[in-house]
Amino acid sequence: MQDLIVFVVLLSLGYFAGTMAESRHYRSIRKRERELLKLPAVTAEDFLDEGREIEDVRLVHGSVVISIDYFKRILAGLRNIFGGEVKSYLTLIDRGRREAILRMKQEAADADIILNLRIETSAIGQNANRRKTIGSIEVIAYGTAVTLKK
Amino acid sequence: MRYTPKEPRENVNIVRTSLLKEFFLLAGGILTITVIVYTALGLAVDLVVPRLSPGIEQRLGGMYSGMYADTGDREAEKRIQRILDGLTSVQPEERGWRYRVHLVENTTVNALALPGGRIVIFSGLLDVVDSENELAFVLAHELGHFAHRDHLRGLGRRLVLLAMVTAVFGQESSASRFIYGSLMDVEMKFSQRQEEAADLWAVDLMNRRYGHVGGAVDFLEAIARKEKRSRFAYFFSTHPHPSRRVKVLKEYIIDKGYRVRESIPLNGL
Repeated sequence: MQDLIVFVVLLSLGYFAGTMAESRHYRSIRKRERELLKLPAVTAEDFLDEGREIEDVRLVHGSVVISIDYFKRILAGLRNIFGGEVKSYLTLIDRGRREAILRMKQEAADADIILNLRIETSAIGQNANRRKTIGSIEVIAYGTAVTLKK
Repeated sequence: MRYTPKEPRENVNIVRTSLLKEFFLLAGGILTITVIVYTALGLAVDLVVPRLSPGIEQRLGGMYSGMYADTGDREAEKRIQRILDGLTSVQPEERGWRYRVHLVENTTVNALALPGGRIVIFSGLLDVVDSENELAFVLAHELGHFAHRDHLRGLGRRLVLLAMVTAVFGQESSASRFIYGSLMDVEMKFSQRQEEAADLWAVDLMNRRYGHVGGAVDFLEAIARKEKRSRFAYFFSTHPHPSRRVKVLKEYIIDKGYRVRESIPLNGL
């Protein structure tokens, strides 16, 4: 009985806290994405206007570690039994990648363009790559920030 | 090439569905499947248990010998054994062994029926009982479990449940704890019915041994007085609430027309 109570408390705590944190994070992501919209980040390796002189080139990166909440983890565990799309992890990945790109852009705020954007994701934490579960993920986005002469 | 900044129209990478709905759907599915398999296996256990020979049961009981290895007061144990012998001499069914009582030093107010005809009495129980008849009721209640094979059934079902849950979810996962917990609660309801049946069986046996049933209700009333937990706490318990047991027992005694006489006092037990 005690186990059950602890489980239900953790589950609802995970659900409500997780949902709140997620919607707050998404609001912040959307706001900052609008602010940084003028700085393009592209996967192309060479995308420069002919004849413009380059002032500065440097490596920029942004990384973030996000954990999934208890509710979503249990839901994914149940999904593991039946199979199918693990929807509870989608927002985790989406938030991680967008946040990492945003941080990278913030680092390159004075640049004109970020070329050769790459994104990598890895599971970290106690449960990383074990028991088929994901505790938290680290997302790193990196690219080449190019500043052109005015 | 011109770069014109614009926001993405919509996010195709996330699915806007209710995760809560998905959770209840999946958890419900798992629970249903487990309950079906568990019920089937439980019925199989019920089928096997009455056919278990006394020899096999005694060997099974050997696994629990550690539980009563350090027994308490030997003198008191002998006296309780005499009360038990008196009860078993009028028992309707012979199981081919002598029922043994073991007194274990422990403050818990409880008694257990173990496979192989062994009854464990925790010494905390002796502080609650005032008369030989009250103690006889406790012993007869445990003998009732033996007569109904409850001690084996409970064992078998719990084994089935544990084996199933660990097979599907692994040993230490929270999902297996959740399922084990919720199914144990169903099991508890089942066991509350068994406890009531054992109570009634005990009253019958007491009437045969003493010619009256004095002391039976007294014991449960003493337990009910000591009980601080509410009725709600008993919803998920192996035993029904003592005051409910008192009510059921009183009705049964009136129904059967059993007499209630003075109990035999217990001196210094």
